[in-house]
Amino acid sequence: MAQTTLARFGGVGLHLFVLGIVVVAESIGLIRIPIGIAAVILLPILYAFAMGIILNPNIMKGTRRVLSGNATKVAGTMIAISIMPFIAKFGTTVGPQIQKVIETGPALVLQEIGNLGTILIAFPVAVFLLKMGREAIGATYSIDREPNLALIADKYGLNSPEGAGAMGVYATGTIIGTFIFAIMPPLIHSLGIFDVRSLAMSCGVGSGSMLAACTGGLVSAAPADKDTILALAAASNILTYATGLYAGVFVALPLTEWLYRISRGEKTSSISQEARS
Amino acid sequence: MSTETIKNAAASADILNVEDERRIDLAHHALLLLVACALGLISNWVATKVDPMVALPGMAFLYAMSIAGLLLAKFVPFYLPSVAWISLVAILVTIPGVPGSAIIVEQVGKLNFLALATPALAYGGLALTQNEFQIARTSGWKIVVVAICVMFGTYMGSVVVADVTLKLFE
Repeated sequence: MAQTTLARFGGVGLHLFVLGIVVVAESIGLIRIPIGIAAVILLPILYAFAMGIILNPNIMKGTRRVLSGNATKVAGTMIAISIMPFIAKFGTTVGPQIQKVIETGPALVLQEIGNLGTILIAFPVAVFLLKMGREAIGATYSIDREPNLALIADKYGLNSPEGAGAMGVYATGTIIGTFIFAIMPPLIHSLGIFDVRSLAMSCGVGSGSMLAACTGGLVSAAPADKDTILALAAASNILTYATGLYAGVFVALPLTEWLYRISRGEKTSSISQEARS
Repeated sequence: MSTETIKNAAASADILNVEDERRIDLAHHALLLLVACALGLISNWVATKVDPMVALPGMAFLYAMSIAGLLLAKFVPFYLPSVAWISLVAILVTIPGVPGSAIIVEQVGKLNFLALATPALAYGGLALTQNEFQIARTSGWKIVVVAICVMFGTYMGSVVVADVTLKLFE
């Protein structure tokens, strides 16, 4: 009984590993690397993720002896659970700022449509520049986080070209997304073109780690606006949680399908055959 | 055909590491959440030098909000992910004028938001499966290029729309 209970927790080793990683990552703290007038900002969450990958039993054979067999699976469950206090803390930044959040209401709602910008930028690159087949549909219709991936799995199956495209972007995003979202927003902020509120409310893309990286980077780039940044990012993230799947089903996926059909014309079948082989 | 579908569904569930939120074992999750909160307190301690005992009441509030969110996700008859419920609860209890909101805001203020995300990212690195490494490797450089365009496009699309809207309404 005691052993099965322990096994369900993935063994003590897993959580001790995380404890060690957290202490080291937070001890290093935030690092700013100035480049010209902008700065690349490295956050403790990045080191934590990198150390997790290095110690991952699939990468480092040695840790297999310390971590129990289901450690990877329990770690997966723990991502969802350990992000909860973070999400709760994020929510508590909205309440006190509720007046300000409501004032930006129209922008907050409309920027959700802006998430379709992925189709505008990534779709032409995938289809015209990289000559991808139907993989391009799954890959570019959304940011391919869990709910988006579930939609592709449901509609095409993950063994289809569309599924392969979505899985590729999902896996890549999982591995480099945190880095991209820590580095990109402060650089865009340094251009001085966009309102910091716009940059903040765009952080909510439906992924806890990308949200953390994005707001972390922005707050260190514009510390005076911390409260506003947190509140708007949190509010937009909730909107994405609530609307993301529906936007995918009714707008993004049909739109990407349609764009693919018109861009490929009658060649559609030969291309998809090529992609399958 | 049907076995194929089931296999796909099982594969996707395995890859996604998703659990049906209506079937989760609440007691088990409540315990794991305690582990997560303890790690969050230590992370906050190292990051901000705020004593874990001082930050404990704030963390207790966050724990309660998380449990409330999990309960709502489990029992409310329409679907919203538990993280959405947790956010809504957290917003409601911190709106000025709501009884207790001032105390909650004061206590959770002792916790650094970014330090609370560190344990999740550590688990994230450890949770990557052979499958995910394999997919990233075999998808090749094209997918990496596309993925970066996807992230950039998703973010910039929102930034531009938000910025234009803010300027129009002011």
